[in-house]
Amino acid sequence: MSTTQQSIFSSYEKDPKFYDEIFDEKGNVKQVYQTLFDLYSGHSSQDFAKLNEKAKASFFNQGITFQVYNDQEAKEKIFPFDLFPRIIDPEEWETIEKGVLQRSKALNHFIWDIYHDKKIIKQGIIPLDLISTSANYLDQMIGIDPPGGIYNHISGTDLIKHSDGKYYVLEDNIRCPSGVSYVICNRTALKRALFGVFNHYNAHTVTDYAQNLLEIMESVKPRGVDEPNCVVITPGVYNSAYYEHSYLAKAMGVELVEGRDLFVENDFVYMQTIKGPEKVDVIYRRIDDAFLDPLEFRPDSALGVPGLFSAYKKGNVCLVNAPGTGFADDKAVYTYMPEIIKYYLGEEPILNNVHTYHCSRPDELKYVLENIDKLVIKPVDEAGGYGISIGNRLTKEEIEKVKQTIKASPRKYIAQPIMSLSVHATYIEDSESFESRHVDLRTFCLLGADKEFVLKGGLTRVALKKGNLIVNSSQGGGSKDTWVLKK
Amino acid sequence: MEYTIKYKAVNTYDALIDEAFWQFLLRPEENTTQNVRMARFTNSANAIVDTSTNTFGFPICRVHLKKPLDKISFEASYIISKQIENPFSALDSVVNSVHQDQIRSIDFKIEHERFLSATQLTQLLADQAPFSFDQSRSLFDNLNDLNSWLYHNFSFKTKVTDVNTTPVEFIEKGAGVCQDFTHLFLAIARLNHIPARYTSGYLHQGNGYQGDSQMHAWAECYIPEKGWIGFDPVNNLIALENHIKVAHGKDYTDCAPIKGVIYGNSKKNETTYTVEVEAREASDPDVILTSETYAPMPFKQQLAFQAQWQQQQYQQQQQLRQQQNTTDTSQN
Repeated sequence: MSTTQQSIFSSYEKDPKFYDEIFDEKGNVKQVYQTLFDLYSGHSSQDFAKLNEKAKASFFNQGITFQVYNDQEAKEKIFPFDLFPRIIDPEEWETIEKGVLQRSKALNHFIWDIYHDKKIIKQGIIPLDLISTSANYLDQMIGIDPPGGIYNHISGTDLIKHSDGKYYVLEDNIRCPSGVSYVICNRTALKRALFGVFNHYNAHTVTDYAQNLLEIMESVKPRGVDEPNCVVITPGVYNSAYYEHSYLAKAMGVELVEGRDLFVENDFVYMQTIKGPEKVDVIYRRIDDAFLDPLEFRPDSALGVPGLFSAYKKGNVCLVNAPGTGFADDKAVYTYMPEIIKYYLGEEPILNNVHTYHCSRPDELKYVLENIDKLVIKPVDEAGGYGISIGNRLTKEEIEKVKQTIKASPRKYIAQPIMSLSVHATYIEDSESFESRHVDLRTFCLLGADKEFVLKGGLTRVALKKGNLIVNSSQGGGSKDTWVLKK
Repeated sequence: MEYTIKYKAVNTYDALIDEAFWQFLLRPEENTTQNVRMARFTNSANAIVDTSTNTFGFPICRVHLKKPLDKISFEASYIISKQIENPFSALDSVVNSVHQDQIRSIDFKIEHERFLSATQLTQLLADQAPFSFDQSRSLFDNLNDLNSWLYHNFSFKTKVTDVNTTPVEFIEKGAGVCQDFTHLFLAIARLNHIPARYTSGYLHQGNGYQGDSQMHAWAECYIPEKGWIGFDPVNNLIALENHIKVAHGKDYTDCAPIKGVIYGNSKKNETTYTVEVEAREASDPDVILTSETYAPMPFKQQLAFQAQWQQQQYQQQQQLRQQQNTTDTSQN
């Protein structure tokens, strides 16, 4: 090894407790990463410091930023991007792709059933309470048939690789999951910074996502419409994912609108344009259910469109994703996913579920309270990593406090064993070298009428703080370009 | 029995509003005991009026205002006919225990899940419930007891509660309006596994009571084999011919007679309502028929109404002719 090689990987610590994506047990570089490792080793740490600055500037100039809530002041931040891509070989990817598609389809069947006959409850497979006490279950959706029979057009499934080397699903996100624009921007940024590495690898493109999303939207057009008019509705520039909303609208070639740009008349939705009203048929909405329609849901919503829900109910407009999908990506429903897949598809689940303890069940609650230091406690209806406590990181007082919160409302919490997220070489600014950091993977799956698509790639999120297990961007995570290799 | 119902709302704003949407849920329901003979809805700004249906299938009127103003009024009027149904007819024959088994079956719970789950406005924990059911008595008797218990233990008082008052707060205050009585009734019925829904409507308090009165609310409960029965805890009554139903839902939010979304600089607004319900004779002339706008009526109903109206006209003409005849004869 030359001296330069030692300098950029010298501070890389291998911890046998975690699965390493790049190095095998013996400490050798895995075959898929070998070429990349050799190429990177040829650069000095100064080179990477420069490249890192370039990549950051590229993100800043493109305006790819996000906002963090709960901060004292709302700040625009650059989503930290890492120069070392994650590589997934074709065989491994095949399992992931089949697995996430299976979950999305099962969830779609499940949502349909719950808003129609509730057969799965009548059969005693899941309890009625699970649905009726869920804050995200919308009884307004009962009996409504969404165009094409699709509820979760867009699903984002979060996967991790445990120390046993197997993928586990952490959660399914079917309430307008975000992050896909970062997947595409990460690719662009890496191409700008290190174009040469792409000559050595044959990775699937990720830029076809927008085209596929548009086709999915068009496939669920309302009845009687030939050429549907599609739009993206955003809560506005202050939303943390505004960049993504504008990116997707631009990439699909459709209008980006806010609530006040639309109005409803005789149960049809129109967009105000300088040429007069224009009918809208399919809306990719990045507004939460509660804010969609102030006449039907939260009356104080200034983001929604008055009357939108009755237009939807009449079948005159399609909302992507459908309202009321939130109960199904609830962390308590997650634990029933293996049963849900078996019930609706008659198949064994392809991807593993993490074992989950329900605090609503007395015996499991007892286990959780006694073993809190070995568990991760999650609220069932919060997204974005808020409200999560990791047992072995808590002080005695904090443990007591968590116990009290759980006891006060057990239905609101689940617990899972602390999963060992795999680690991946990640460029760290402070040490100007590559160190190992925990990663997960968010995949994106689209369902339409007779059409389905899984983005070949995904968002590999990195917990940039050493030893940290929470990778959400709102908790200070970064991301990596993710390559799915062609066969 | 026939009624004339007049609803008027006047909204005033402290500054001009540029654009607004309102939604009204005022039209009496068409059901086995109610028939809407005439319906009319107008607004002072002559803004566009749409019709649609809400989540529970009840017809609503929507007003979309596109010009600036600081005051607007809305008027609805209806003529309805109402039949009386005897709620006691099928009750005695059914044994209580059968009901208890039935309402605890999973199929029953799923079918009525909507009206069994607590909402924010009907939230009440079992140990907070101030009234418990006597399991040896029938569901109907228990509900009837609950009705009079509420009537005797709470007083009707305006301005002590608002639209967000919960059953727990109502219990503390011991006083409130029909909404609060109904929400507590629903909460207790649901805790006892009886499907219960919020019902909005008009109450006929006897002719001569004009103005000042608001829309009324009561509870409807589902009793197996009998169906939905209305309980009015404010008046300790079973909803009969004086209760003209408009809509039902999980709680007040689903039945709010007026909902609005206002864009503009106005920070404060004031709304005044008046509701008048008057009994009328079937032969009284349909004075409000002369209005300019009608809410659309189902075609079949329109035909039936037309036929009825023609018949009425014919009868009146006959009467007139007879009178003329009699006068003629007297002259002779």
